[in-house]
Amino acid sequence: MSERITPEMVTSRTLSDLGSSLAALERTTNELSSGNTILEPSDNPYGASQVIDLQSQLDGLTGYEKEAQNGISWESTASSAMTNIGEVTQRVRELLVEGANGTYNNNDLETMALQVEQLTESVKQDANTQYAGQYVFSGTASTTAPYETGSGDEYKGNSESVSRAVGPSATVTVTTNISTLLGSGEAAEDGKLLDTLRTIAKNMREGSAGQAALGTTDLQKLDGNIETLTQLQAISGSATQQLHTALARNEQLQTTITAALANTDATNIPSASVQYANEQAAYEAALRASATIVQESLLNFLQ
Amino acid sequence: MSIPTLQGLQTALSGLIAEQTALDTTGNNIANANTEGYSRETATMEPNPSIVIPAISAQTGEGAQLGAGVTTASITRIRNLYLDAQYRVQNSSLGAATADAEVLERAQAAFNEPSTAGIATQLSTFWSAWNSLAESPASLAAKNEVVSAGTQLATSFNELSAQLTTFATQAGEEYNSLTGPSGEVEDYANQLAQLNRQIKLAEEANTPPDTMLDRRDQLLDKLSSLANITVTEEADHMDTVTFGEAAQPLVQGTTVNWPQTLTETSGGRLGALIKLTGPNGTLTAVQEQLDEVASTLSSTVNGVLPKAFFSGASAATLAVALSAKEVQASGTGNPGGNELAQSIAALRGGAAEQEYAGLVEKVGSDVRTAQDDKTNLQTTLLAVNDQRQSVSGVSLDEEMTNLITYQRGYQASARTLTAMSEMLETLIEHTGVVGL
Repeated sequence: MSERITPEMVTSRTLSDLGSSLAALERTTNELSSGNTILEPSDNPYGASQVIDLQSQLDGLTGYEKEAQNGISWESTASSAMTNIGEVTQRVRELLVEGANGTYNNNDLETMALQVEQLTESVKQDANTQYAGQYVFSGTASTTAPYETGSGDEYKGNSESVSRAVGPSATVTVTTNISTLLGSGEAAEDGKLLDTLRTIAKNMREGSAGQAALGTTDLQKLDGNIETLTQLQAISGSATQQLHTALARNEQLQTTITAALANTDATNIPSASVQYANEQAAYEAALRASATIVQESLLNFLQ
Repeated sequence: MSIPTLQGLQTALSGLIAEQTALDTTGNNIANANTEGYSRETATMEPNPSIVIPAISAQTGEGAQLGAGVTTASITRIRNLYLDAQYRVQNSSLGAATADAEVLERAQAAFNEPSTAGIATQLSTFWSAWNSLAESPASLAAKNEVVSAGTQLATSFNELSAQLTTFATQAGEEYNSLTGPSGEVEDYANQLAQLNRQIKLAEEANTPPDTMLDRRDQLLDKLSSLANITVTEEADHMDTVTFGEAAQPLVQGTTVNWPQTLTETSGGRLGALIKLTGPNGTLTAVQEQLDEVASTLSSTVNGVLPKAFFSGASAATLAVALSAKEVQASGTGNPGGNELAQSIAALRGGAAEQEYAGLVEKVGSDVRTAQDDKTNLQTTLLAVNDQRQSVSGVSLDEEMTNLITYQRGYQASARTLTAMSEMLETLIEHTGVVGL
């Protein structure tokens, strides 16, 4: 191309080359210090939108993870309440079997009735268990206690279910409809646990008159209630299982997406370091060369 | 006819004068080696018409040609008009690309993506707040969190929109200040018209207007970065300059036609500024797409809820319309219901986010295109400028060589003069004194 090379051409070219050398060096420094290769969308427009997408997915997974963990705690609260109810029910059953065998007098039966009433109260208290300020057995009426303490046995909650989202369009129901087990007491005559317990206490108070019912209809009803409880516990257990499975899958996905995010945006430290060293060497060489060359001209050699 | 006695002296003198002129030219080149826009000059020497001496060539009868020394025919300014035109075309494109890159880089910086403070993160925080509300649907704290996350998100949209508007306004202001009274365009045009007049006068008076020509070329270079220009040199040595898509030439002879209307196809910085903020401009498109994101966000969230959560359908007007107590996690009115909160949390990664990610990608690729254009044009311009420099620039090595050449030439002419003088001395002092 050019026949004549003027000092200004050399200087402007050198300056421009030094500038781009330095820009490359600065770029690598930024990538190393920030740990990211996409510092601005223009560095990699598609990558930047990917980063936003992946980050959103990752945040979503964190949200689902939190909900699943919350669901597990909820279920564990409900499950321990149901275990308590189970133990209480077993204790009532023992009293029932004892009371039915005819060796106890009316006074003894009266004492047993008192015990059964106390145990009934404790069942209701267990049913009023709260998690994070919400009654776990009230359905969506979470601010209302399902049962009032004392003689009223009416169920105050509702049968609507509450769920936790554990993934895109994957939800797990965490509420247990306790009214299918406890019912609304004697007044409702629904044969549910509270009705059964009240009937047992009543029959015990009736002394020998009610004694016959204790070993027969009462025991049958109680056994039926215990089976319902077992079913509810099984449902709750399976919900807990689902939540754990979702959590495990969630963790796996988080690992995958974190890796994808790193592939898109994270600086590869070894390769960036090598590049940095190369660019620095190149820049220094360019500086040295320009410092030497640009100074020379015919003037240096004329006498 | 014989040789004139003093002819030798005249010849030597013409050599001295010519070499001195060449030395002066070289000296001027060296002095201006680093002057911006200076075009080097060379002194062209020409032999004087020779003297015919018939007596010497009596044999042929044609006479002999005796050289009569040298004269400086001209001092030429070395310049290539085509390279100038090429330089100005590239410079206009570079001016446009630079304006694009500057404005779009500012817009990109306003987006602040990817980061932990951009709208993408705010969106994510907003969805997470609904996640929390789904866990404790009756909690006022969770509702407060939803409202505050929503308000922050809306504010981010408002701020970004306001920043984009500011960039558009700034572009408009810059355009006005460049084209307005005593703006750069008018200033350059006035100087060009004045130079046109001076150059014409100088040419008429037969004085070489080299310095003024350099100055005019330099002004035209600067003008070319503002818009496309074409330069036509008229017979009277005045330049006619067309500017952008303006209807009349900006400078015609000594007349300046300004202000005139420019369009977005005018090229250069001015064309780019019009285009960026015009109806088809990149900045306008970014603003419109941001409005779309805001409107999608507002409509998808509001679509789920019985009472609109967001008011305003553009990025500038987006706001939270509900107080914390009015936020409902469920449509049934039951305190433990959370189906609405879950539906909104499930909007994460949905249309609004997709559109936003698309917008970030668009801004990124717009900036990248502008930056790449700019870099390419800078390289091209550097190459054209190199070619121009190669023709017009001062090479010190070359000038030093010329300096020696002309210096030696001068010395030799002086020696010739001495020889002539000694010859005449012989004639005058020593002739006719024989036998005295």
